[in-house]
Amino acid sequence: MQIEFKVNGEEYQMDICPTMRLVDLLRGKLGLTGTKEGCGEGECGSCTVIMNGKAVNSCLVLAPQIHGQEILTIEALEKNGQMDRLQESFINNGAIQCGYCTPGMLMSAKALLMANSNPSEEEIKIAISGNLCRCTGYNKIVHAIKEAAEE
Amino acid sequence: MLTKDFKYVGQTYPIHDAPQKVRGELVYVSDLNLPKMVYAKLLLSPIAHGIIKNIDTSKAETLPGVIRVFTHLNTPNKTYSRYRIIPDQDFCLEDERLFTEKVRFVGDRVAAVVATSLETAKDAISLIQVDYEVLPVLSTPEAALLDEKTKIHPDGNLIYQYDYQLGEQVLVSNDSVEVETTTRTQKVHHATIETHVCVADYNSAGKLTIWAGCQGAFGVRTIVADLLELSYNKVRVIKMPMGGSFGGKQEAIIEPITAFLAKEVRRPVKLIFDRKECIMATMTRPATSTTIKTSVTKDGILEDCIVDTVLDAGAYATSSVDNAYAMSKKICRLYRIPYYQHQGKIVYTNTPVAGGARGWGAPEIMTALEIHMNAVAKRLVMDLVEFRRKNLVHPYDRDKASSFSLGNARVIECLEKGAARFGWNERYYRMPDKGRYRRGVGLACAAHKNGMYGGFPEHSTMTLKMNEDGSFILNTGLHDLGCGTITSIKLITAEVLDIDPSNITVLEADTENGPYDFGSYGSRVTYICGACAYEVAKRVKEKILECASLIFRKPKQYLEVANGTVGISGHQQQTISYREIATTAKTKDNTDIVITHTYHGTSNPGVYAVHFAEVEVDTLTGRVRVSDYLAVHDIGKAINPGMVEGQIQGGVQMGIGYALYEEIKIGNDGRILNSSLANYHVINAPDMPTVKTLLIEQGGDEGPYGAKSVGEIAFVPVAAAVINAVNNALGTSLSDMPLTPEKILAAL
Repeated sequence: MQIEFKVNGEEYQMDICPTMRLVDLLRGKLGLTGTKEGCGEGECGSCTVIMNGKAVNSCLVLAPQIHGQEILTIEALEKNGQMDRLQESFINNGAIQCGYCTPGMLMSAKALLMANSNPSEEEIKIAISGNLCRCTGYNKIVHAIKEAAEE
Repeated sequence: MLTKDFKYVGQTYPIHDAPQKVRGELVYVSDLNLPKMVYAKLLLSPIAHGIIKNIDTSKAETLPGVIRVFTHLNTPNKTYSRYRIIPDQDFCLEDERLFTEKVRFVGDRVAAVVATSLETAKDAISLIQVDYEVLPVLSTPEAALLDEKTKIHPDGNLIYQYDYQLGEQVLVSNDSVEVETTTRTQKVHHATIETHVCVADYNSAGKLTIWAGCQGAFGVRTIVADLLELSYNKVRVIKMPMGGSFGGKQEAIIEPITAFLAKEVRRPVKLIFDRKECIMATMTRPATSTTIKTSVTKDGILEDCIVDTVLDAGAYATSSVDNAYAMSKKICRLYRIPYYQHQGKIVYTNTPVAGGARGWGAPEIMTALEIHMNAVAKRLVMDLVEFRRKNLVHPYDRDKASSFSLGNARVIECLEKGAARFGWNERYYRMPDKGRYRRGVGLACAAHKNGMYGGFPEHSTMTLKMNEDGSFILNTGLHDLGCGTITSIKLITAEVLDIDPSNITVLEADTENGPYDFGSYGSRVTYICGACAYEVAKRVKEKILECASLIFRKPKQYLEVANGTVGISGHQQQTISYREIATTAKTKDNTDIVITHTYHGTSNPGVYAVHFAEVEVDTLTGRVRVSDYLAVHDIGKAINPGMVEGQIQGGVQMGIGYALYEEIKIGNDGRILNSSLANYHVINAPDMPTVKTLLIEQGGDEGPYGAKSVGEIAFVPVAAAVINAVNNALGTSLSDMPLTPEKILAAL
């Protein structure tokens, strides 16, 4: 089927199989491999992208659902050669170890800050509660998001 | 005491590839796409024990897009050990083959399809029909040892047993107290966020290339090359960025099969495990049952310690014999014990395969030990800190098991400083809660090691070369698992050469282009490989001074390096840059500044941690919340303190899960009851307390700048600290892990 959508500001028209998942469209068709897959059932959050301002698991979204919608992926976080303050804060606060959860974590954090520029620590933890990280113990991630919000 | 300030060592730096990771640019194995690449999918056994009577692949073979289908009928029957690190290694049972005729657990490899797309491969798998002759399922070591008729492998279900004594058995004094406890630990999923993935290609020059997210590229090479009967120079293993490991990617689990398939179909093959396959069919932390019996004088001095461990290896032996043996050697690294006896059994069962997992045996045995030590102190009505202080090892004690020095073992200092910082006395001796929510505190000590010296060959090789502009490339056999290895090694090298770390590139393992190293395990990386980096950098520095002495026409003992330059001591104005030295050496003196060095380990000191946990137990629901946490570590010297803190916080996270939530549940029929992250609970951000850390940095051992290990030891004491806290809150003596709400409610 034919769908139209926007990814990272660019418009696409594509003929897709209706059962294709968004994560496969992004990774396989558009080559946007910054979006990761860790479980395929919406439990780990590695594939989180922003759809019309909300964080979603792209493994649970089917391609037809993005018709007429706007998607942001990790590749769009940096603008005009300038990193998003979340990206800088993750680097400066040691919020990254293996890095596999990082893109999804950043997109959940970005969606939070788009809706709430001054979140509490509890709100941050809830916003990333669907993103599993097995390396860091979350302490530094929460701190990094808090610091990015305070800047 | 280390008082010297360093320029780079001891400062916090982000992980080396952080800029790529925050942009989603870093290419992991799962992101790798090669021209003409095809996809493999495995058919895994749905039953836990049986013999394949008939297997029909005809429908799968005719599906458009399918390239080939493989089963035990058309593949080699050669057996191998996926654990082996070096050729001819002891205790590496060769009990596994690429595709089995006899399935031994739910998840055993029955068949593979290679197809032009993953979807086609999946569809084809569902078209394969298998008839099994079902055999009795032995889902526990007890059942496997009891049933002598049902043999999981031809030689029976007991893989190995050991029984040894250390020290002289002394006459236990009349008024001694004898205490016995049993602790059960469970099978746990490593839960790396990136699942197991491999890409392999075999070209017409007869060369096999494997892109692996692995912990030991040379181990993968020896296994794959010997299995496929290829010369080692024809097998190239490239270590790729990996989304976590924690021991779960230590063994060559999917590399042999991917390599075999690539060689057969002569196209690049990608094999990706999904989460379910990863939980069932890769590797688990072993389940253990440990009984500890100690005799203690009424003054609280340990007289003897008798330990009995049964380890559930699952369906294949892999590393379980070494793992159990390593486990048995840990206790004497922590406590002074006049007489120590350990017997153990390693047993096959029809369950997922157990293997190395963060801490390699130490978490299992230390959890049992520290639950036991609390029981002893309680029996003696002795303060928990005081009892431990009387028995913990002292700096430069000898390890009873290896007879090597434990080095500057500062565990008592960890305990004392930690108890003071945590406010142990105030919290432990307060009035118990009586309402619905009960608070409790727990502590646990732990010991681990620094490398494999004493039990295994231990060395590392690196080549450090100076570029014409005075920058450096350090070629290594390292594997960064996401723990910041590359950054630490860079900081050590930068410190020696006195140059900004951004001028040094550190390469990871590539069996074709890089030097040999055993891999990232055994808590050896900072201590052994870090020392190698230190030594090779020192030698290059000497060479730089030699080259500079030709330019200055001064003996090199008058020269010194500073900020990427060489100057004459005491004459700060006269300096020449590293660039000038390197270029002059090359163009005028026919000299290349490049050194390869092999560092041999000569020690294996203890590394220590003492952790303090506060929990709040909801007696209505049985849920436990860890409300406060302090981790104290005897680390010698923190090379990159921010990363050290991150390692500890991550270890605590994993340990809380181990204590309270995580378990691969297996039914009596061998089926896995929670093969999804929906019902296998990994701790998320709201569950996680703030973890405070306190580092004891007293150096004194042979690691670079006095550094010792941290990644594994960070996990070792956590479960015991949390369990002891729960038992303190409730007045219970729970030791059957994990402490789920059901078990807690049942104990109330």
